[in-house]
Amino acid sequence: MVRDLCMFAGFNEDSRIVWFKITYSKGPGSLSVITDFLEKENVFIKFGHIDNITQDTGEYSIFTELKKDVDIEELAHKIEGLEVVRAVEHGISEFGMIYSVDFPLNVIGVRGVMARSLTIVDIIKTLNQSVPHAEGLLTLSGLRGGSHAAKYFKSIMPINDSNFASMIAELYRAVGWGILEIDCNPETYEGKIIVKDSFIADVYGSSDQPVCAFMSGYFAGYLTEYFGKNISVREVSCKATGKSVCEHIISLAPSSPGQEQQLRGEIK
Amino acid sequence: MIRQPNVILGNDELLVTMGRKGEILGMFYPRRDHAQHVEESIACIHTGERLLWTNDNEWHSIQNYIEDTNIVSTKLYHDSGIRISILDLVHPDVPVLIRRFKIQSQQKISGKFFYYSNFDVGETSKKNSGFCDSEARLLAQYWQDYYIGIYALPEFTEWQVGKAMDTIWWTNSKYDMEDGKLQRNKEDIGNINNAAGWDLHLEADGANEFVIFIGAASSRSLLYKRMRELSKLPLEHIFEKTREYWVMWLSKKHVLKMPGIEGYNNLRQELLNAYNRALLMLYLLNDHENGSFVAAPEFDSNFEKCGGYGFCWNRDASELVLALKHSGYPEYCDGFFKWCIRTQLPDGSWFQRYWLDGNIAPSWGNFDYSTQIDETGSTLHAMDVYYRILEGLKKVEFLEEVWVSVLRAAEYLMKRTKSGLHESCMDLWETYYGIFTYTNSSIYAGLMGASHLAEENGESGMARRWKKRAEFIKQATIDRFWLQEGYFAKGIIHEKLDKTMDASVLGAYMPFGMLSPKDPVERDMILFLIENIQKKLSIPINSGYGIKRYENDTYIDGNPWIVTTLWLSEAMFAFALDLPEGEQGQYAEEAKKLISEGIKCLRWALAGATSTGLLPEQVDKSTGKPAWAIPLGWSGSLMLDNIILFDKICRRNAGSHE
Repeated sequence: MVRDLCMFAGFNEDSRIVWFKITYSKGPGSLSVITDFLEKENVFIKFGHIDNITQDTGEYSIFTELKKDVDIEELAHKIEGLEVVRAVEHGISEFGMIYSVDFPLNVIGVRGVMARSLTIVDIIKTLNQSVPHAEGLLTLSGLRGGSHAAKYFKSIMPINDSNFASMIAELYRAVGWGILEIDCNPETYEGKIIVKDSFIADVYGSSDQPVCAFMSGYFAGYLTEYFGKNISVREVSCKATGKSVCEHIISLAPSSPGQEQQLRGEIK
Repeated sequence: MIRQPNVILGNDELLVTMGRKGEILGMFYPRRDHAQHVEESIACIHTGERLLWTNDNEWHSIQNYIEDTNIVSTKLYHDSGIRISILDLVHPDVPVLIRRFKIQSQQKISGKFFYYSNFDVGETSKKNSGFCDSEARLLAQYWQDYYIGIYALPEFTEWQVGKAMDTIWWTNSKYDMEDGKLQRNKEDIGNINNAAGWDLHLEADGANEFVIFIGAASSRSLLYKRMRELSKLPLEHIFEKTREYWVMWLSKKHVLKMPGIEGYNNLRQELLNAYNRALLMLYLLNDHENGSFVAAPEFDSNFEKCGGYGFCWNRDASELVLALKHSGYPEYCDGFFKWCIRTQLPDGSWFQRYWLDGNIAPSWGNFDYSTQIDETGSTLHAMDVYYRILEGLKKVEFLEEVWVSVLRAAEYLMKRTKSGLHESCMDLWETYYGIFTYTNSSIYAGLMGASHLAEENGESGMARRWKKRAEFIKQATIDRFWLQEGYFAKGIIHEKLDKTMDASVLGAYMPFGMLSPKDPVERDMILFLIENIQKKLSIPINSGYGIKRYENDTYIDGNPWIVTTLWLSEAMFAFALDLPEGEQGQYAEEAKKLISEGIKCLRWALAGATSTGLLPEQVDKSTGKPAWAIPLGWSGSLMLDNIILFDKICRRNAGSHE
């Protein structure tokens, strides 16, 4: 996700938000050459990120706010002219609302989008109001996402009993879904997840019933994929119902009931 | 969810619609319009590592009918080297779909073959009940007196019946397949789904075969008996019986000769195939018990983007039965007109559309101002056309049977046309309120037909009165709607003359014959109409052009329609036939040009068909692919009419050569 640098700014009619992605040769002082030059040109960095591409090459992405009369093309050309610089890309946000260096955004290996919580909650509310089995539908939708997250983590780093909980907690925080406290016993598959500031419950408004079925499904998908066992996750208390936090209970899904009943009815 | 089929199959009781990868999209039993029992029904393979759903984008498919049958072959190719050949057929005598899956792989596979279904038995996801009889190896789901069952050879070895949309997601059969084994839950209720599973062990280049029977019945015991008996028969025997059934049915058709068209690249074969396919398709849209037809198999039952198509419109069905009659199947006229007598409203008109059993369907035409008077005109016109073809005793009996209905319908038309033009109502496209050229033409034809029938029935007073009104309507339509530019206005909308070019104004000539090419003035009018429609409504796509309904049409993106394009070609062919004969005559060049243009329209329509040859309602103006209702009965009937007319032209030309 570090590739997805974004900038939000208020609208200023005299200036524009501009970003530069500068690919440079790594060497002693090469980054200083770039920053010194930018300072000299009155380009004040509002937000920057350095990424190592290879041993020899680095990528320096910066956001800045420039007066509208500054010739961006010319500035980019000048940066590109520096000896240590190999390539420069740039972009302009005319209205200062949002801009990302890389398009499209990437969240855990696949395309991501940004949305206001309310946008998603409006969809959830519409489903709850109009669609039969909305809770089941939301659970199943979350299940897919959670399962994908666990698969992705497995593919990029070792995942084990000591870090599976902190990984999803970090993810939740990073994407703004909520702050997690996870207590789950990997031997009994039992436990609970506290969600503080759930993005759903926070903006849903008051409700008689818990509203975070999507998150329950997400946790279930994540834990099922990690443990390799069907895991049930139920939201037992929800901020939307007036509680201070949301609480999801983890347990092993029950297996099928006995199978030996006689078939009744006209056939026998 | 709107999902358009690529192929349909069935028998008298069962209609199945499928996507291009063999996924079942609809299963209608016992009528074509009700009830639709399937949400999803599809095969998938668990490779040992992951599930491959056969409708995924990873598969490439080739789908076609076995020649001259409603038996479907679907071949699926996966990038990993797996190949699945699916043969689908519905037994001619019982409502059972038989699906043979032959699976081959270039690489060794040790996994599972699953067949997953989400049935909405009784067209509802509520209060369904499902079970697996592990002794009989039958998966069944039911609601009231609708039973849908799955049996297989070899018998499935594992199964799951679970909740399709619930927070207890681990019982969901769709998810249960993901780990490669099913939990064997035996029964559940509510919104449920099911899966059957088999071990799949394939050596490299080896093959496995599974035959799945999906049957419908009105009771549990009948379902069991059907599946049990059918599974005893060798598949080859069922295949032969089914193939023979369709070939025999097609053998009754009016034989086409189309001499002298060898010069047109493969046209003869293309038209013969299209003729057979249209006939076989119309069989599947007809309710054999009631005589009615669905306009198309329903694909938008929630009316998300349109008003739905799984109902019977008199406008469409009148054209369908006449086309079938001309093609050698008169029994469809008998059935449909009996249905018309039964469904006629107390005021003598017909409703916008009906369920196939004759009940009135969901409608936005419940009032005098919103009804579609053309449907009454079309029905009367069709009755007379049919009567004129009949001979002897049959003719007498038919007139006796329909006379009261004719009388009531004609008087309804009289009541609504006192000023010469019809009172305000809805147009044939079900979009505008007003007074329309097409509707007036159909009323003209209806009253002329009724007049003829009255004359034949010895009611010359009525005959005169109806004919006089018909002629009054014709004159008023020409006086009020014919434009200097050389075409009829669409009509009067919001009390203003609407000069929009609308392809339906061609109805004044075909099919309603209000304009006659035998009259020199009217002959010119018809030619102007043809030219102006070509000029103003053509949309180029698929190496030709199709005709859209009217200028500024926005329904489903304003695509060109098969119906309007085939109206144009039909008018061209009919006009060419109506011109005085003789290769050296003054009209020879004109006729040749019209025929040539007509052939282009026919070919354009065929290029817009599905890979299985089914004609849609529309052709996408950007991609050239079939669009919206698939297949549309009306498109099929116009294809039949066109081919029969073209055959006449070929025969006439061959005769003049001889």
